[in-house]
Amino acid sequence: MSGHSTWPEWVYVGVVIALLCYVGAEAWNIERIIEHVPEDAEIIKVTGQQWIWTFEHEDGTKEIGELHVEKGKAYKFEITSKDVIHSFNIHDYVVLLDAVPGRVNTVWFSPTDVGEFDIQCREYCGLIHYNMRGTLIVEDKGA
Amino acid sequence: MVLELQKPRPIWQIMFSTHHTDVGLLYLITSLAFMFMGGALALLLRVELFSPGVQIIADSMTYNRIFTVHGTTLIFLFILPSASAFGNYLVPIMVRFKDMAYPKLNAVAFWMIPPAGALIWLGFADFTWYAYPTYSVVSAPGPAADMWIFGLKILGVSSILGSINFVVTIMKCKHPDLPLSKMPLLAWAYLTSSLITLVAVPTFAAALLMLLTDRLGASGFFNPAMGGDPIAYQHLFWFTFHPEVYILVIPAIGFMYEIFPRFSRKPIFSHSSGVAAFTLLTIVGFASWAHHMYATGMSFTEKTVFMVGTLAAVPASAMHTFNFLATMWGGRIKFATPIMWAVGGIALFFSAGAGGVVNSAMPLDFITHDSYWVVGHFHLFVMGTILFGTVGFVYYFFPYVTGRMYSEVLGKVHFILSFVGTVLVFFTQHILGLFGMPRRIYDYPPIPEWVQMNIIISIGAFIIGIGMAIFLVNLIWSSAKGKPADMDDPFGLGGKYYFPYQAKNPSH
Amino acid sequence: MKGIIGIGAMLGLLVILPSIQYVLAAGDSAGEYLDRRVVIWGLFYRLMIVAFTVGTVVSGLIVWLVLRFRESNPKATPTSYEASGSW
Repeated sequence: MSGHSTWPEWVYVGVVIALLCYVGAEAWNIERIIEHVPEDAEIIKVTGQQWIWTFEHEDGTKEIGELHVEKGKAYKFEITSKDVIHSFNIHDYVVLLDAVPGRVNTVWFSPTDVGEFDIQCREYCGLIHYNMRGTLIVEDKGA
Repeated sequence: MVLELQKPRPIWQIMFSTHHTDVGLLYLITSLAFMFMGGALALLLRVELFSPGVQIIADSMTYNRIFTVHGTTLIFLFILPSASAFGNYLVPIMVRFKDMAYPKLNAVAFWMIPPAGALIWLGFADFTWYAYPTYSVVSAPGPAADMWIFGLKILGVSSILGSINFVVTIMKCKHPDLPLSKMPLLAWAYLTSSLITLVAVPTFAAALLMLLTDRLGASGFFNPAMGGDPIAYQHLFWFTFHPEVYILVIPAIGFMYEIFPRFSRKPIFSHSSGVAAFTLLTIVGFASWAHHMYATGMSFTEKTVFMVGTLAAVPASAMHTFNFLATMWGGRIKFATPIMWAVGGIALFFSAGAGGVVNSAMPLDFITHDSYWVVGHFHLFVMGTILFGTVGFVYYFFPYVTGRMYSEVLGKVHFILSFVGTVLVFFTQHILGLFGMPRRIYDYPPIPEWVQMNIIISIGAFIIGIGMAIFLVNLIWSSAKGKPADMDDPFGLGGKYYFPYQAKNPSH
Repeated sequence: MKGIIGIGAMLGLLVILPSIQYVLAAGDSAGEYLDRRVVIWGLFYRLMIVAFTVGTVVSGLIVWLVLRFRESNPKATPTSYEASGSW
């Protein structure tokens, strides 16, 4: 070093590393919490294809472009694709996972609010990618 | 260094020259031309997205083609060649050698770029700059896609040849009196980024070949219908292109290492910490590629490993920032145009880095992945940091190439417009991403927040566009009519420049 | 001395390896109902607080540096390198 004091730089690097450790630990902890799927989660099979979403419930009912779920239950999506890579996204519920042909990816969520929410595709999949949309309809069967 | 305009030569003498300053000039002009072309495409995209519905682009396929060529052009035909341009000018001078180690190879590496650019622009492929299978294998229309693959293949070979040249020039042709530890940081930047290129780029070259044979139906590496795995391509791709981020940013940081001490009138705060940070980045840069792929269904273990790898690369970048600020501290800074770009560049570099740290936290990927957040994030890097560093250095270098001064007023106006525009566009894009707008969409539903933010972004983009038009005028007008520069001290800083401006070009 | 270092390294590994195992495998067990939105956006806002705090410090420092050490500042003095003319 060119003859001047370097301790400020070491302090600074230490602070940066401490902040990064905080970020890493927090992220690790949250990811750990949200990856734990409840045991009674209902499975919904999601299939992406150019350029629609199809859904199959556990009881065998199929839906195209619309998905009906009940408030307060837990659902586990098993996501796959028929042709190219898509990305299944319900932004309002922070659900996002790629639909990859030949693979099944899983993510779970539990809706808390009744209403209609947008489903969209977030991975470029061609001509109508911009309009590969669907609707999530959360109903309250108890009420 | 070349003074083409003061001592004109016939153009073929420059084109067929193998002298490093001539090749550097060719690189520079080509890359700037592609910068304006790629930027013009961005403006088209922003006009289209100004509001929901069709504006000027008739169909989504055209839109998809435009953003693909926009990204490909600016990364491969602007940033990489512009780094090579200044490397060609300066590396031989900094290591005190008469030319690059392999002058003919150098010219060959440059002359691979125009045909590759022609393939990309004549083909106009639509599968985005990363060409993910299976879309690129089963769905993307040819021959555009195949032309893109060949174009990228050629560019990959070109950058490998260029990197070999830089590494050999620095390691083998360096003057014996100049130890590596005393070599200027810009030369260190070229050494480290060339080493990254040599390790990273062959992987993508291999992936491109596999992609091509997959498209021809001869193989099924990435096609699940034939037993392949599309995720394998993403691993190969990002193993090249995450380090590529560092290949792109390291020369820009090297430019700032030239600019900050020069205009602060004091030496760099710590040469050795700059070297350490470059070296660290070279190694750690390879530990983070799969953070682009959290959403492909990776396991918790994989995500954790790549998050740690990503965070590990941050201290090195932070050391550079510290070095820049500490260099300014206690200086007497003359705010000519180049250092304004450099200061703006580090401010945006910090923002981009902070966004990147937030991004690397794996649960947040559920919010940000493939949304406009990501678009804003990496544009802050490539535009806010790399382009700012590069353009600052273009201004810094202008008198050496042309023998004339650029217009200081226009340069400052260009900076202010670009800085304001960049903040407007890319900070707003972060927020737009949080509201859930996916990237690469031709049209969007009229959600009020989306519409408002898209209008702001488009206005910001037009501001940048005006700035770039001023830049073009400044470059052309000043190189023809600008006032002659004082070649010993064009910026009036006092002091000696440690590299001589007369490279001994035999054609002069 | 070498023996002590060796034993220390062994003991260190005995602590580090299981904790790495725990850190990397923590996603496996079954869990309870929770609202993803609250958890993930909560993390986002905590990180934003950190980012904006650091950002304020950094950008404030840059602005101060630019104003204080500009050539036209009344307090600006020539650096010690200007006399020799090389830096």
